[in-house]
Amino acid sequence: MQWWCAAQGIPWDWSWRPYPGVWLFVACLCFAYRAFTRGAAPSRLEVVRFAGGVLILWVALDWPVGALGSGYLASVHMVQFLLIALLAPPLVIAGLPRAALERVRGGRAISLLGLLARPLIALLFFNAIVIATHWPEVVDSLMASQAGSLALDMAWLCGGLIFWWPVVSPVPHRPRFPLGVRICYLIANTVLMTLPYVFLTFAELPFYATYELAPPVGTLSAGEDQRLAGLIMRIGGGTILWTAAGVVFWFWYRSEKDPAG
Amino acid sequence: MRPGRVVAAAVCGVGLAGFACASPDTAIDRTEGTGELRGLAVERPFEAPEFALADSRGRRFDFRRETAGSLTLLFFGYTNCPDICPVQMAVLGAALDDLPYADRRQIEVVFVTTDPARDTPDRLRSWLDRFDASFVGLHGELETVNEIQAAFRLPPARIEGASPPPNAGEPYLVGHATPVVAVTGDGVARALYPSGVRQTDWRHDLPLLLRLNRSVSKPGGETGPSGG
Repeated sequence: MQWWCAAQGIPWDWSWRPYPGVWLFVACLCFAYRAFTRGAAPSRLEVVRFAGGVLILWVALDWPVGALGSGYLASVHMVQFLLIALLAPPLVIAGLPRAALERVRGGRAISLLGLLARPLIALLFFNAIVIATHWPEVVDSLMASQAGSLALDMAWLCGGLIFWWPVVSPVPHRPRFPLGVRICYLIANTVLMTLPYVFLTFAELPFYATYELAPPVGTLSAGEDQRLAGLIMRIGGGTILWTAAGVVFWFWYRSEKDPAG
Repeated sequence: MRPGRVVAAAVCGVGLAGFACASPDTAIDRTEGTGELRGLAVERPFEAPEFALADSRGRRFDFRRETAGSLTLLFFGYTNCPDICPVQMAVLGAALDDLPYADRRQIEVVFVTTDPARDTPDRLRSWLDRFDASFVGLHGELETVNEIQAAFRLPPARIEGASPPPNAGEPYLVGHATPVVAVTGDGVARALYPSGVRQTDWRHDLPLLLRLNRSVSKPGGETGPSGG
């Protein structure tokens, strides 16, 4: 029984496999949300946002995406990265009611989060995580074990939460991080993520032994799979970040047009 | 700038610079400059056996005669293999794609099926074409193939976990040796490449093997098993 998806080196087939560690993780998130928001009365929209974020995490971590991404295809591994680090975190944060966040303000954890979520630090921290977790030796050594694969997934999630916190969370309120600067922050990240994209897409040889030597799935060669991973990072990541920048711009436009609203 | 930001910037800067330097070559090249093979050099190179099997077009393929002068990479496997065989062939095919034409034409890849019951010549051909249309597929009785493998000091292939043998249409696996055997143009087995060998390893070793092949194949060059 495998608890968490990891590279096993066994041939891929499309028969379903259970990963109880993923279910436990998803259940823990739901219970934590319930406990955290008790007395804070989250709105229906907040609950839907949080549930959407958790659902995305579940899809990214469980069979088949989690299993394919952890041991067979670099391109699916990149889809996992986008889901865990760029798509789920803003929804999870947007699902936290302001009243619940205000209640824990001043606590040790929220203070540490406040420190890490300063825009410049968050931007650099996230990109350091992106680079470290795409480093060939790191990927090959972590993906071989369930604990390593779990650590990599959690690094993406933590990095994503810290990256999105200054953009999405209303607490702590940052008058020095106005909406226009948030747009620049998001666009700056698309520029920083260009480096791993370039190396994945234009590398002459496969970077990751895990995917180069994995039992084949479909007809993609290891090189094509890696190039596809680079394109997914570029196009998928760019789409998420530019869409977010567009949403922030819309809020900015509205606030400029109607300062009282 | 606050100290926290300086530290964060430094960490990220080092990360970015490091990623820029990382490549599969630098990642595992432990023998750069030594001229050593990354494959397993055969301690006492030995003569490849004389044998002839039918190729995927039904023609007789005399191994020693057809491969004389070429660097030959020989592999025993089967097309229904779910893991080792397709990976070995894909990695090898991709590595050969990178070679200059002049080098590429000096290399012959020969795949001998260890599952003659299912690997018909047509199936063998279409499977090998997925990796490289120039790969030669050979077909013969399993007993003969096992004798050839024994001559290459490889363990025999056998149907796994089935006794008596499975009926027609029933799925089964074939246990077989996993290394690619590198045979130089003088008919001597020089090195083994077990599963797990990567494109970067082939890229490192193929020029070395070709140089060795040229030295043992040219008139007056070292020949025979004692040639190294």
